[in-house]
Amino acid sequence: MDFYSINGLIHSATQSYLDPGSGSMLVQILLAALLGAGVGIKIFWKNIKAFFTGKKAGEVSTEDPTEVVEDDPTAVPTDSPSPKE
Amino acid sequence: MPEKVRGSFRDPSGFMFKYGGKLYRQINQKYREEYDLLMQSGLYDQLNKSRTLVSHKEAGLDLAPRPEIAYKVIQPEIVDFISYPYEWCFNQLKDAAILTLAIARRALEFGMSLKDASAYNIQFHRGKPIFIDTLSFEKYEEGAPWTAYRQFCQHFLAPLALMAKKDIRLAQLMRLYIDGIPLDLASSLLPASTRLHIGLATHIHLHAKSQQRYADKEVSQNEVKARVSKTAMIGLLDSLLSTVKGLNVQTIQTEWADYYQDNNYTEASFEAKRQLVRTFIEKVQPSQVWDLGGNTGEFSRAASELGIPTVCFDIDPGAVQQNYELVKKNKERFMLPLCMDLTNPSPDLGWHNAERESMQARGPADLVMALALIHHLAISNNVPLGDAADYFADLGEHLIIEFVPKTDSQVKRLLASRVDIFPDYTIEGFKEAFGRRYSIIEEVKVDSSERTLFLLQKKDH
Repeated sequence: MDFYSINGLIHSATQSYLDPGSGSMLVQILLAALLGAGVGIKIFWKNIKAFFTGKKAGEVSTEDPTEVVEDDPTAVPTDSPSPKE
Repeated sequence: MPEKVRGSFRDPSGFMFKYGGKLYRQINQKYREEYDLLMQSGLYDQLNKSRTLVSHKEAGLDLAPRPEIAYKVIQPEIVDFISYPYEWCFNQLKDAAILTLAIARRALEFGMSLKDASAYNIQFHRGKPIFIDTLSFEKYEEGAPWTAYRQFCQHFLAPLALMAKKDIRLAQLMRLYIDGIPLDLASSLLPASTRLHIGLATHIHLHAKSQQRYADKEVSQNEVKARVSKTAMIGLLDSLLSTVKGLNVQTIQTEWADYYQDNNYTEASFEAKRQLVRTFIEKVQPSQVWDLGGNTGEFSRAASELGIPTVCFDIDPGAVQQNYELVKKNKERFMLPLCMDLTNPSPDLGWHNAERESMQARGPADLVMALALIHHLAISNNVPLGDAADYFADLGEHLIIEFVPKTDSQVKRLLASRVDIFPDYTIEGFKEAFGRRYSIIEEVKVDSSERTLFLLQKKDH
């Protein structure tokens, strides 16, 4: 049987400078497959619920810190120079 | 001459450098496609508008220290004070983890993925965690697994789990292992009950087992035929997120967090002290304040409320966490609470002892405050007063310091269980020792207490 390095196989597409680690990669593939199925089921149910309630099934949670909050005073990009500058 | 930032060498996409007192980042040709995608896909705008990625402006390419490989030079927004994960309280590390996952997930929407998940890529800026590595994004390839999975587990999940499930003090392992806590170590330290916790059983215990099994082994093609679909990747990120969110430290056993309810001050003298501290701060007009042993930040706020970036260091993670929760609740922008043991402050760490700076190397501050602290250093830790003066003088130009005499009940308590070997611990001895390094600008007895507050300025200037 041919043996390959896992990094070579999985990682040929990216140019990562981190070593993802073979064991980490394999466990991730296993978990992701299971968890992905969970996401699929969740989206499926949300869509069904959305169909009946008329509400859109949003994917991103409202607690997401990368959500832009309009009334957040800190949300304005500041170019203010630091005191050290 | 541009000066390369010594901790910035791992990622071949670019590096940080200083020039003319300003901080820049050279982006290499190698990262061209990715940088353009970050800027043009809308991801940069999204993260910048939500204040979760430092903003930057493009600077002249003529500044590039290595022009032969340079694509761009950018000038990032400056963070007031660089702090490290081993200086954060539990909730700071948890918020940093949540932000990292949120960014990883958001990046996918814009066709990019987060290529590393180092806790050192997060800083606390203006009251909130913010991602500081503009070069951490790469083009997302459908089917590719998350390169940073292991790093995330080592940098965030393992320390959070150890702090929540075993002992809050295990945060200090991050100081020992600066690329995150090895998962086999985390797995062996965690209580057996965590094997029933689905998130920890998989991302820590199973993960550690898998690492052990495949260490230095070639893997057959059949074993890795599977790819990680985008939905699967989202599932993985969501699972990590719910695991992180489920970890909590309820009541941190705190020695100092209720200090203000149980001390020597009456309400009136407490207010008098606060007023004095404020007057001294206004006199110095510092651009940065370090409050040493600042507890929950009661007196640090005299500075931060004036819009002065203030770092409040304390040894007690419970007090630091209380302070951090206040910062969040009140949306305070100039207060940074950090854990620090002043008898063993953060040293220079990492490759060439230059990747992570010592506490002192990140100064000096304009103003150092040491309130209700000197008796702990001098009596509990046997530091001679002259040595304390030398240390404070290395940390900053001005010093607000409170002298707590032996007649004070707090000092009596410290001396109750030991022989008094401190004949020089008197106000005269204090003035003599600190007078060698400092000039006394102000000396005021705090109303209705035994204590005296000093404003000092270093003599070398």
